[in-house]
Formats: sequence, C-alpha cells, structure tokens
Amino acid sequence: MPGDDRLSKDLTLADFERFRDYIHQHSGIWLEESKLDSLRISLYARATRIDRVTWDDYFEVLSRDEAEFRELMSLITINETSFFRFPQQFEALRAHVLPEIMGDKVADNRIVRVWSAGCSTGEEPYTIGMALFDSGIETLDWRYEVMGTDVSTKALGVARAGTYPGRALGNLSGEIVNRHFVQVGDDEYRVAPHVRKHVDFGYHNLIKEPYPLSLMGNWDIIFCRNVTIYFRLESTRRVVSNFYNSLNDGGYLFIGHSETLTSITDMFEPVEVGGVFLYRKSPQEKRWHGFSASGPQSLTRPTSAGVRSGRADTASAGPTPGEREEQRVARQERIAQRERTRRAEAEEAAAGASSVAEMLHLARQHFAEGRPDEVERLIGLVLIADCGNADAHLLSAYVHADSGDYEAALAACTRALAVNPLLPGARYILGVIHQRQGDLVRAVSELKKTIYIDSDFALAHLNLGNIYKQQGKFDAAIREYENALRALYANPEGEWVHFLGGWKADVLLRTCERSLIECRKAMGVA
Amino acid sequence: MSARILAVDDSPTILEMIKAILLAGGYEVITAADGAEALETARAEKPDLILLDVMLPKLDGYRVCRLLKFDQNYKSIPIIMLTAKTEEQAMATGIRTGANQYLTKPVEPETLLAAVAEELGKAQG
Repeated sequence: MPGDDRLSKDLTLADFERFRDYIHQHSGIWLEESKLDSLRISLYARATRIDRVTWDDYFEVLSRDEAEFRELMSLITINETSFFRFPQQFEALRAHVLPEIMGDKVADNRIVRVWSAGCSTGEEPYTIGMALFDSGIETLDWRYEVMGTDVSTKALGVARAGTYPGRALGNLSGEIVNRHFVQVGDDEYRVAPHVRKHVDFGYHNLIKEPYPLSLMGNWDIIFCRNVTIYFRLESTRRVVSNFYNSLNDGGYLFIGHSETLTSITDMFEPVEVGGVFLYRKSPQEKRWHGFSASGPQSLTRPTSAGVRSGRADTASAGPTPGEREEQRVARQERIAQRERTRRAEAEEAAAGASSVAEMLHLARQHFAEGRPDEVERLIGLVLIADCGNADAHLLSAYVHADSGDYEAALAACTRALAVNPLLPGARYILGVIHQRQGDLVRAVSELKKTIYIDSDFALAHLNLGNIYKQQGKFDAAIREYENALRALYANPEGEWVHFLGGWKADVLLRTCERSLIECRKAMGVA
Repeated sequence: MSARILAVDDSPTILEMIKAILLAGGYEVITAADGAEALETARAEKPDLILLDVMLPKLDGYRVCRLLKFDQNYKSIPIIMLTAKTEEQAMATGIRTGANQYLTKPVEPETLLAAVAEELGKAQG
C-alpha cells in the first residue's frame, strides 16, 4: 500500500455532520443527504490538497481561513450550467418581460438592469446579455447591464475570462455561435465584445446580510435558478425576500424551471408566460417586506396583456377583486382552522410514527386497492404535517375524480398546482374533467399543458386524439394517436399508469391503434 | 464528439506519454497530477473515463477510485487503474475499490487503447 495516503481515517458520520453544519451556518447552503457523496469528495480533495492529516486539523483550517472556505465551496457548488439553458425562459424574457418593463419606465430612465445570482462560470449572465442584444433594445436607445454574482471565486475567474471550450457551445446553433462568440484557439471560443461589455461579475454570498448597496435595489430582473434547491426553507425565504426588496416595482424573478415559490412566499405574483412560470413584484404595492415572508398576504393583481396570472389560470376565468378578497379571507380561515386541527391530529400522526413519505406510500397502496376512505384519512394526516404537499393534493384529486366528485377533484388539482404548477398528473385530471363536462376548449388546453410538461404522458395524447377525432380534425387526431403510441413504447411505466383504472397498458396500445385506423379511414373517405 | 479522458499520474513524463497515446486514439485528454487534483477535475469536468495511477501523492489511486465509485454522480464513469505492481494482492484491491480494469505498467499503447475502447463501449451500451 502507498505510504503517503496520510488522511487514512475515513470520514465518520460525526465528521460529515460537523462539516455540513458549518457549511450551512456560513453559506446557508444545506447539503441534502443525496449531496453527501459530493461533500465527501470535495473534503478529501481539499484536505489532502493542503496536506491536512486529520479531519479535526482540516476543520480548524476551514474555520479560520476564509480563502480555504471559498475553495471548498467552489468545489461543492460546481453546477450544471450551459448557454441558453431552458431556452423558453429567455424567450419569455425577450418577448414578454422586456417589453413590459420598458413600457413601465419613464423616458429619462432608459436602462434595464439584470442580476444573475449564483451565476457559476458565467453562461447564464452571458446568455442574458445575448438575449438582450438580440432583442434590439440598444437600437431603440435603451441601455442594459447584466451583473453575475457567485460564491465560487474559481467559477467567477472562468466567468470573467469569458472563454469556453467548444463542447460548452455544443447545444448552440451555428448562427448564435457566429454572432456572439469569437474563436480564439483550436477549440476555444470567447464571448464577443458586444456581449461582454454589458456583463460584469462580482463575488456575493446570497446568505450574507446586509447585501452590498450595489446589489440592494434597482434591479428590473433577477435570475436565480437554484435558490430553492441549495438552501433550506428559512434561508430560501430570506434570499427571496432580499430579491423582492432589491427588485424595482414591476420587476421579475426567474427561478429554475422545476422550482416554485408557492410554499415559500406569496409576496410575488406568479405569472405564466408561454408555459414558463415567472414571479413578478406587483407594481402597485410599495411597502417593505421583512424577512418573515410566510404570512398570508396576496398581492395577486390583474396583469398586463400577454401575461396571465398563474394562479387564476387553473379553474375559472379570473375572479373579481371582491371575490379575491373573499378568497383571501376564506384561505386565512382555512389556515387557522387547519392550525387548530393540526394540534389535535398531530398526536395521532406521531402515534403512528409514520413519516410523510410512508403515509403517502400507504395511501397510494390503499388507492390501488380501492379503499378511498383510507386514502382520504391518510391524505388528511399528511396535509396536517405538511399542508403544501403537492403529491397529497394530487392523490386527493385522483380519489375525487375516481368517485366522480369533479368539484372536489378540481379544487384538489388547483391546490396541487399552486404548490407545483408543473405536475403533469394534475393538469391531466383537469383536462379529463373539462372533457367530461363538455368544455373541450379548456380540456384541450390542459391536455396540451400536460404534454408540454411530460411529452411521454400517453393518456394525455390519447384523450387529445379522441377530442380531435370527435371534432372531425382527423389529421390532428392521427398525430396525437401516433404520439400516444410513441410514448407508450418509450415509457410503458409512466405516471399516467395510475389513471388506467387497473387496465393494462397493452389495452391502451390496441385502443390507440384502432382509433388510428379509424381516423385514416375517415381521411381516406373524406 | 470524442470521449474525454482524465489521465492521472504524478510523473509528467508518463502523463505526456499517456496523453500522446490517447490523442492518437482520437480522444480528448485532460490531466491531473495527484489524487486531490484528480477528484477536483473529476468533479468539475465529469470525464467519460478515468485512467488512474495507483501511486499518487496526496491521496492514492485506490482511495480516489473508491470515493468516485461511492458517489451516485460519478460511479458510472469507468476507471482503469494503472500500476507498476504485479502482485495478485494489488490486483484484488484494485477490483474491490470498484475499478473497472486493472493494467500493469508499462502498458503497450494498443493494450491501453483497447481497454479504453472496451470500457467506453460498455459504459455507452
């Protein structure tokens, strides 16, 4: 065995926890259990790099040496990032957000300022710069600035250099590469000067307060696409609250495409733009929001053309302000009621010693075995422990839809979608209910959204196909049946299996094939 | 796009040789000179395959291999261990740490390229 492996003692669980807690305390970043392997690799790499012999020894260095802490954090927070990651968000930025923000500004304030928080190696702020350049606002005599910040000095070094290997540009079209990059080596590309001159970088720890004056305020748009993934709930609330305070009225927060702020804060107005959910600081409201962002306050207001309110979107055409006030009061009452019930029932939940995950698992089993009362009881317990549990709301929607109680199913879907707007199952249930109630326009809209979120949702394709077939739109129906078949082959165990009501997937397959033949015949006759 | 291989060896000469062989085989090559750098580079670059010398300063190759193979994010990266040792014992250790293959130095270029191609093929297949 080599003798120079000096840090021979394995990292114990106690060591792990000590480092994890220290990192949490000083960066706000909470490493979930799934990230502990990465922590282990990073700790070994750093401790051996600076020749520490024991974990105590390394911990001591870490706690007194800010530079070492930054080095370790650089390694831990290495992030997947790329140019034009989730292009729909940049399309929403260009087509809707930018025109709206420009429209709201007065003539002597023709500047748009964007902050990319947690920018890693710079791909995101440069992408924003490219999108803003392509929007042509400069030719309209507007200026723009993009600021990228991160906790990793190493990543910031790469970002400032703005030079990337060819593989980093792999997903970009030749046209974008030609327009916004300059080849500087065999396989090296630098972001072009017309983009770089608008993009600046700085070190910033999102959890360290107060924020420097340069960041505190006057932003029109903030991108932070990992905030709810890295931080624990309380830290996320503080960070999001700081974003709120840093944004101009009418400003927008972009978070990750799979993230939602619904259970974190309702200071922002969630809006849907072309299938992308964004968060807007309501322009009418001018007040300081402290760091306790959890209070039940709704700022949801009618939004401008082209931008629809995400919350009002799900069930009915938007409520009037009076109705909204009633809903708000009703919601508060429900919360208070839930709080009262919580104490009484929490003991029961604890007595069963079941975790939320276990209860949900059990509830799904009962559902599969056709015991709706048992499912409802368990869902109730889960919601007492965690009222924002989207899976529980979704399961409740399944049960109600199954029993034909569409109103209750709709309400449960709406609650599930308020927590997570990207739950394909909830969209699907909405679609099917509208379909059964004869509202085909809404049904098509929801089924399309289902597919937008999960293109392999075979049942959504099948139902869309049925609607089109019913409407005599045979070519569209054929396309959907074909998509359903493709999805069935690609993913025979998809989430939609729950909706088959005990039928086997091959029955579905035969249904699609038969309908396909019928449509083709109809087309032939027509 | 050609596969990217992380070659780890503390001897710059050997590293250059390995690099030349791999480049000739049409691969992209990144390098690290010790165990710590190997882990940092693996984390930052996520290579398609790692050629890992056993005798490394800072952190030996076995440990590096074990750390990567225990991590969900990296365990699918094939690791070929290179060593001067010929003992059965070392070979057994190499396999227990989760290494995919074990080659004894000096390695013939053809043998090295064949092993790399085999592991990359398995990883993709």
